[in-house]
Parts: sequence; C-alpha cells; structure tokens
Amino acid sequence: MKLTGACLCVCAAALFGHATLQAAQSDITLELPAIETSQYHRPYVAVWVEDAQQQPVKLIALWVEKPDWLKDLRRFWRKIGRSNTALVDAVSGATQKPGSYTLHWDGNNDDGGALPAGKYTLFVEAAREQGGRSLAKHEFTLPAKNAVIEIAADGELGDISAILR
Amino acid sequence: MLKKAALVMSALCVSASVSAHTLWLVPSHYVLSKQDSWIAVDASAANMTFVPDKGIGLTSLKLYNPDGKAQDVTTVYQGKRKSMADVQLAGDGTYRLEMANPLRYFTSYELNGERKRLMANKQERTAQLPAGATKVETVQMRSRNFAYVTVNSPTQTVLKLQNAGLEISSNTHPADVVAEEALQFVFHLDGKPQAGVKGVLSYEGELYRNDAGRVEFETDNKGQFSFTPEHAGRYLIEASYSADTATALADKVRESVTFTFEVALP
Repeated sequence: MKLTGACLCVCAAALFGHATLQAAQSDITLELPAIETSQYHRPYVAVWVEDAQQQPVKLIALWVEKPDWLKDLRRFWRKIGRSNTALVDAVSGATQKPGSYTLHWDGNNDDGGALPAGKYTLFVEAAREQGGRSLAKHEFTLPAKNAVIEIAADGELGDISAILR
Repeated sequence: MLKKAALVMSALCVSASVSAHTLWLVPSHYVLSKQDSWIAVDASAANMTFVPDKGIGLTSLKLYNPDGKAQDVTTVYQGKRKSMADVQLAGDGTYRLEMANPLRYFTSYELNGERKRLMANKQERTAQLPAGATKVETVQMRSRNFAYVTVNSPTQTVLKLQNAGLEISSNTHPADVVAEEALQFVFHLDGKPQAGVKGVLSYEGELYRNDAGRVEFETDNKGQFSFTPEHAGRYLIEASYSADTATALADKVRESVTFTFEVALP
C-alpha cells in the first residue's frame, strides 16, 4: 500500500512538474481506507474550498457514479451539487478504490480567477453506499505561504495532508 | 332512527379518536438528486412521532409542482396502521405535498347534563338542535398537513403562503435546514403573523429514548418560534390556533397544521 502511494506521488509530480514552475500549486493528499466488509462499494468523494461566508469557491475533485446518490454527500450537495450542474459535470470523475491520492489546486476559484486574501476552509466529504459518511474540514488563510494541513483519519476518510502554496 | 344515531355516534367517535392523534405526511425522501425519482409518502394518525398508528384516507392528498400547479395524487393505499402514496417527481425544484381539509363546522351542546355534538354551522344548527339544548357553541375547524420535497436545485414558488388558515413560513428553505443551525418559523393566520399559536415540536425515534425531547411552544407577538435542532433527522411540528372569532357561521375558529421536515447533517 505504501509503495503504491509513493508511486502515485512520483507519477503525479512527474506529470505536473512543469506546471509548478509557472504557478504555485497546492497539493492535497488524501487516503481512502481499505474497509473490510461483505458489501464494499467505492465511496463518493468531494473535495472543495469554502470562503469565510461558507460559500463554495472551488471544487477541487468529485468522484461519483450515479446521480441518485450524489445527495448523500450531504454538505457538498447543499453547497454545490444541487445547483451547479455544469461544474459537477466538468469536475466529476470515476470513484476510486482504497489507496492514496494526490490532488492539485492552482489556488484559483472555479472560474480560474485569483482568490482574495482571507480565511478559507478545505472540505473533504466521503459517503459510501451501505457504509458511513465522513466530513473533514480545516481552516486556512490565503496567501497560504506553504501552510501545512493535517487531518487525522476518521471513518470513511484516511489521513489527509495538504501543502498550500 | 336508533341505527342512524348509532352511526352518527360511531362516526363522531372515530373522528374524535383520530383527531386526538396527530396526522402526518412523511415522504421517503426530502431531498433527491435525480429527476423522475419516485417517492413513497407515508401518512398516519398517531400519538408517537412517525410511529404509524391509524391509516387515513388520502383522497385529498395533493402534489404542488415547482411551478405552483397542484395535481391529485391517485396512487394511494390505505392500510390499517398507515397509508401510502406513490409520487413521481418529474422536474427540478421544490414540491409541496399537502393534505388540506375544507372548513368544517361542529356544534356542541348540552342536553340533560350530557355533552353532544352535531356537524352543523350556526345557520344549520337551529333546525337540528333538540329542544332544551344548552351551552350551544359552533366551531369552525380546518386542518392542513404538509411537507416539502426538493429535487436538485431548490425553488420558492410552493413555499408562498396561500393566505388562508394557519400556515408556516421560515427564514430557511426546507432543503437547507441543518443540525446545529438556528431556525426560525413564522406562523400566519390568513396571511398575517399570528401570536399565541400553540405547538409541539418533536423528532423521530421517541420509541427508543426515555426523554421524548418534545418542545412545547407558543408564538410571540411577531408570530415567531425559533429553535436550533440539535440532531439530524426527521422532525414534526404540530400547531393550532383557537380564537373566539364570531362569524355568520361559527362562534369560534380553530385552525391546525402539521408540518414534517428533515434536518440534515452539517
């Protein structure tokens, strides 16, 4: 498992290496824990950023399958999913198996514009069919200047770490 | 004559026993993320919140579409403990499920020391009251039971007040109600905020806890009742308002309403 995670990181760094030269990129690494159960379905996962007024400003990742269950990502659904179909379509990708994944964020909002200095919150939500739901969040400030976020594993989500640039 | 009286009596008993219960509508889903989804709507008259007790007729159940147009709900089943309706929600937006009873008039009186009741308004009662009836009083009654269901993006149209009878508005859209966030309801009578509306707030699972956690309230002079739901889950508000408002047809008015809603996880 550790080896796979390291491999993914190396590959990601190789793929996105050129981009980091142009713009400071934040890396968010999250782990989907292996859960021993007779009926395992891959979790639906959303990663996004809200501003100090709890308004969503950037959807970083969305791993889902069928629209029926999007609502089970309760906060994501209220804040983004139910009203911004175009964004959901643009960002959504397939669900992922247990493992470690690194996401990249250029620090801009959904429209590609720069975010003003201020307080923001990183949200990671996961919901699994016939399983549980977890919501992890962590406040940060922009400009972040290499601030590090660490969120301990809980329920459907493994450890989350991020370096915000 | 005796048979007819017995029938009337049994009808009154049934209506009295049902009215002592609280009638609610509980959709299987309050929030959906797919068009054309079906929902099941449970309805029952019961003492314990969302523990079905008596099935009820659903002939007056209506579905208000996001554009405000109402349609009858025809796929219904009345069971002993609860009734159920199948409802398909075609487009995006907020829907209102409502069961509203028309105005009804009850005249109560005393005869030889016994309390009795008639289905009659003030004009009809003269012909029906027996000689010697005392303490005659006619009450106009109306009840309304409703719930909102939202498919994808929430809309406002079906939340608008109908300006008739007792209604509830809120500063939070029903699809946005979240545990640990303050919630405010305003109770309106015929479209105006009404003080003195008495109600009870409860939530599911009463059967499995010792403290039911019910909150009794009375609206303030702005018609408001505020609270912060502690737990996510399905909630019920039952409320009523009585006033000695004499009209041509009644001496008193009694309006009642039940409303079920979902409190989502933060």
